[in-house]
Amino acid sequence: MSADVFLFWFLAILTLAGGLTTVLVTNPIYSALSLAFTMIGVSALFVSLNAYFLAGVQLIVYAGAVTVLFVMVLMMFDLKHELITFTRGKISGLVKAGLVALFAGLIVGSVLITSDVFSKSGGAPEAVIGGDTTKALGTILFSKYIFGFEALGVLLLIVAIGAVALARSKGGTHAK
Amino acid sequence: MGHDIFEISINAIKLIVVFLLIVQAVPVLVWLERRGSAFIQNRLGPNRIGPFGLLQLAADAVKFFFKEEFVPANAVKLLYYAAPVIALIPATLAFAAIPLGQPVQWNEYLFRLQGYEINVGIVFVLAVSSLAPYSILIAGWGSGNKYALMGALRASAQVISYELALGLSIVGMILIYGTFNLTEMIQAQQAPLSYSLLGFTLPLNFLPAWGIFYQPLGAIIFFAASFAESNRLPFDLAEGEAELVAGFHIEYGGFKMLLFFIGEYGHMIVASALMVLFYFGGYAIPGISLADLNQWTADHTASANAASLLAGLLTFVCFFIKLSIFLWIFIQVRWTLPRFRYDQLMDLGWKTMLPWALFNTVLTATFVYLAHL
Amino acid sequence: MPLGGVIFIAIFVAVFGIVILFAASRFGTRKYDPVKFESYECGIPVQEKKDTKISVKFYLTAILFILFDIEIIFMYPWATTFRDFIKSGNGGYVFFSMLIFIAIFIFGLFWEVKSKALEWE
Repeated sequence: MSADVFLFWFLAILTLAGGLTTVLVTNPIYSALSLAFTMIGVSALFVSLNAYFLAGVQLIVYAGAVTVLFVMVLMMFDLKHELITFTRGKISGLVKAGLVALFAGLIVGSVLITSDVFSKSGGAPEAVIGGDTTKALGTILFSKYIFGFEALGVLLLIVAIGAVALARSKGGTHAK
Repeated sequence: MGHDIFEISINAIKLIVVFLLIVQAVPVLVWLERRGSAFIQNRLGPNRIGPFGLLQLAADAVKFFFKEEFVPANAVKLLYYAAPVIALIPATLAFAAIPLGQPVQWNEYLFRLQGYEINVGIVFVLAVSSLAPYSILIAGWGSGNKYALMGALRASAQVISYELALGLSIVGMILIYGTFNLTEMIQAQQAPLSYSLLGFTLPLNFLPAWGIFYQPLGAIIFFAASFAESNRLPFDLAEGEAELVAGFHIEYGGFKMLLFFIGEYGHMIVASALMVLFYFGGYAIPGISLADLNQWTADHTASANAASLLAGLLTFVCFFIKLSIFLWIFIQVRWTLPRFRYDQLMDLGWKTMLPWALFNTVLTATFVYLAHL
Repeated sequence: MPLGGVIFIAIFVAVFGIVILFAASRFGTRKYDPVKFESYECGIPVQEKKDTKISVKFYLTAILFILFDIEIIFMYPWATTFRDFIKSGNGGYVFFSMLIFIAIFIFGLFWEVKSKALEWE
């Protein structure tokens, strides 16, 4: 077993363990923290695919921003007591795991059906290995996908306005 | 990590040495901070143990070892213990990616004076530093204390707010050098300074082409934001003794506290190192180009190995001197400026620094566009 | 590949921290005293934690941070490839498309400031 293969299995198992913990743990804070761990694992897997920039983005956006928001909000409202009563019981964990497995199966299945992953011999595409993936990403993003990029700007603006509107709305449980 | 067992073991030792550099820098910095603050406030400071009180921190470390082990009754034990350990990781990982000197060519092996060479160094450093809020949040929540939780929320809100200005101020640098690679960025700063725009060139040969001359605004924003990122005064709202007693580490003592300290000083060291790297030519000696330096060491040593080693050592010393200057500025500022109020802090981050960083980006892009037209 | 080095030093640092904490916990004295182990609240008895109300501003700051962070991340690949685009003659196109993006960014920031979402009292 070469070092790269070992590294892949090591990271894959860690990431999967993190994902499973996220779903199965009853305390929401632990759940969010293991989600962060999973995100870090996914980012390391990106590195092992030579997608350095994507790995960085995965860390900055998902582990460093989105999951920090989750953890912050969970700590702010301290939902421990409510959620523990809500998720108590042996069945609940199984149901959650089953639902997640179903969902993951759907996603993986649809990807497999619509793409021709099996027809190739596996591994990363030739052009990616050893090449400067970051520059390639920038080049394609600002030529082929330029419209999507601008649309994303508008989308983020809408989300920002929506978030402020929600936080300001009166009458909620946390209104002033 | 390498091709044969020799290279792998050297690289592993290098990583450990980089980590120990941070760990041993903390006592020195704490000593410097205490003596420096005493100097600024016209006091003596610690001067009893060892020459100039230099062994004070060794004595403190021994004391920390014999402190009582203490876990508050409300604490969540696992998180309470995990937080200080996690606090060490982001700063160490970031510092290991920073080139500290010219690579040493030893026979057929090339040893870089850095933990690991990463092609997208800037993104890696930013990404790893963006994980810093976790240890703060875990500490705040894990100690089961209201003040700690408040301090943690404040600190993480502050850290993420300033991360925006920090990330945006570097975009100008990337525009000019067109790379994420830290070593390439240093090499790009070696030529003599010259401004060129629309076919006109203004040569300033007596100055090196350091980033500060191209990006003065970006440098100021970056430096100010890195103060906030490392929770130093005037941005140490997380601690805010008057309101929050000590912030997220209120329930910590002894060695657990010391680990938080190492993390905090580690962030400070990373920020200073990045400042040197982006805006002050990295490990290059001012006035002497790397080519001249390599020539000089080749003339004064017997073998190529020794020449390379000497050049690496000289550049490392130069980097270290530049780093110390910025670390001293961190300390000087801490004892000069008073703390902000929380609303002032947030206003500064969102309404002043973020727009200015955006302005800097647009301005740089315009100049780059005009210069390369 | 630097990944091995990153994982190695991360694990090393974690082990270092755990060993230090463990060693320090062996040396210290331990004396039990219920008052000592109460949460520190400046000397007064511990208040019930459930009442703690925390401003929704923290949540708002975090979510706005995510949005602006994503926008900034998109400037990174632009910044690295901008000079290549200029050399290949598409500089103006890429420059103006980024200007539009930044204009949307500025509008968003302006709107947040106007709507007092970033106001802390």
